[in-house]
Amino acid sequence: MTTKRQVMTLTVNGDSHELLVSPRQTLLDVIRGQLGLTGTKEGCATGTCGVCTINNDNGEAFLSCITPALEWDGKAITTIEGLEAGGKLAAIQQAFIDYGAVQCGFCTPGVIMSAQGIVNTLDDPSEDDINDGMAGVLCRCTGHIKVKEAIRNVAKYKS
Amino acid sequence: MHLPDHEFVKPATLADSLALLRSASGEIKLIAGGTDVVYNMRGRLFQPDILLSVRDLAELQGVADTTAGGIRIGAGIRLTDLEHEPRVAAYPALVTAGRAVASRHVRNMATLGGNLCLDTRCWYTNQTAEWRQAKGPCLKNGVAVCHAIKSASVCVALNASDIAPALIALNADITLANVDGERRLPLTDFYTDDGVTHTIRDADELLVAIDLPAPSGRTVFIKETARKGNDFSYAVIAAGGEVAGQRVTGLRIVLGCLTTRPLSLQEPVRIIETRGLTDEAIDVAAAAARDELGPLTNLYTPAAYKSSLARSLVRQALRELRDATP
Repeated sequence: MTTKRQVMTLTVNGDSHELLVSPRQTLLDVIRGQLGLTGTKEGCATGTCGVCTINNDNGEAFLSCITPALEWDGKAITTIEGLEAGGKLAAIQQAFIDYGAVQCGFCTPGVIMSAQGIVNTLDDPSEDDINDGMAGVLCRCTGHIKVKEAIRNVAKYKS
Repeated sequence: MHLPDHEFVKPATLADSLALLRSASGEIKLIAGGTDVVYNMRGRLFQPDILLSVRDLAELQGVADTTAGGIRIGAGIRLTDLEHEPRVAAYPALVTAGRAVASRHVRNMATLGGNLCLDTRCWYTNQTAEWRQAKGPCLKNGVAVCHAIKSASVCVALNASDIAPALIALNADITLANVDGERRLPLTDFYTDDGVTHTIRDADELLVAIDLPAPSGRTVFIKETARKGNDFSYAVIAAGGEVAGQRVTGLRIVLGCLTTRPLSLQEPVRIIETRGLTDEAIDVAAAAARDELGPLTNLYTPAAYKSSLARSLVRQALRELRDATP
């Protein structure tokens, strides 16, 4: 069987794209390979580590590495590149910097998009909510403490 | 690594999906959240000709009251939405089990129907394709060899669903649909003792809904795993019944992830219904669970650990059932 490519539309960080996509490609493949948005990383590629996390049109965190690209035809996503607006970092990004929640950087986009998923869906997340939202990201050599501090204090940065 | 070659189709309606399931040639895999299917395609365990997406079918969404006083849950409901659905709150074991699945990231994708249909898992097959190639084919490939348990004549891969035991303890029914109509059956009858064809779903059928009777009595759910974030369970247990002091009627105790089908315990139930929820009877019932489990030499932990885990979980679940505030 030969791969049958299909035309799909995908809105990424507010920009609409028309793309020719193979069923063999995941959303992650399209984001990195076709759109050149390499902020989103590939780790385990099996939905375990969380470094490929992006946000769906409801702002919820989900895993681009185990999402067939064609499944997202007509939908919108936000990647790490879409958080900053007009040269100003998103609240969660500034909080991560100020609270020292960034280290080597490989998992950081996935960690931040997971944290952004919490910010997008809960106004005043509890400790349990933060643990729940972040447990799906395994990598983070800073440890958990700084990341959680940043999320707890993100409200300060919202304007 | 890209996914294996296949055709991706996404019919707009349930009727179109069922028609395609009946008419298409070649192997079809259904996909909803994709968290199990894509994972298995990555590992080349699934290499379907066609991937049929039912993810956005409106007919599989929503929760409705039934005339019997219970609820009907669309099989396509996401696990995150299940947690927040007010009608589901009347079934605490289901809420707890739903929340126990994997991570928030996965629950934002995965569906209830998908969780009930999760492929079985085994220490042999759930490896890389190269690893499997080195060891040779097994019952999952139509060869009469089992690498997990040498003497096994049917596939002993384990059920992976956290939610199925909770729903079975809640006396759930499921509805399967094909182009000719629907059939409804108790969820417990959905599963088989063969890890290859581990459900009775026919190739042209789709799981469309889950029915729960009116809430009644108490239910509990407990999960044991390595890390809360993402790991498959070592074991889960769900129990339910009408509890009055130490007396209990209509007791269900269901162990999950230790056997090919979610296991409804028989003798422990008989012991407790006869003797009541005393500490002594609970210990006897917990010890009796082992005899119904069969071989445990597969996945994650040694048989001795699993045996001891099953005993602990039965004891813990029964005590919680007794001591929980009604």
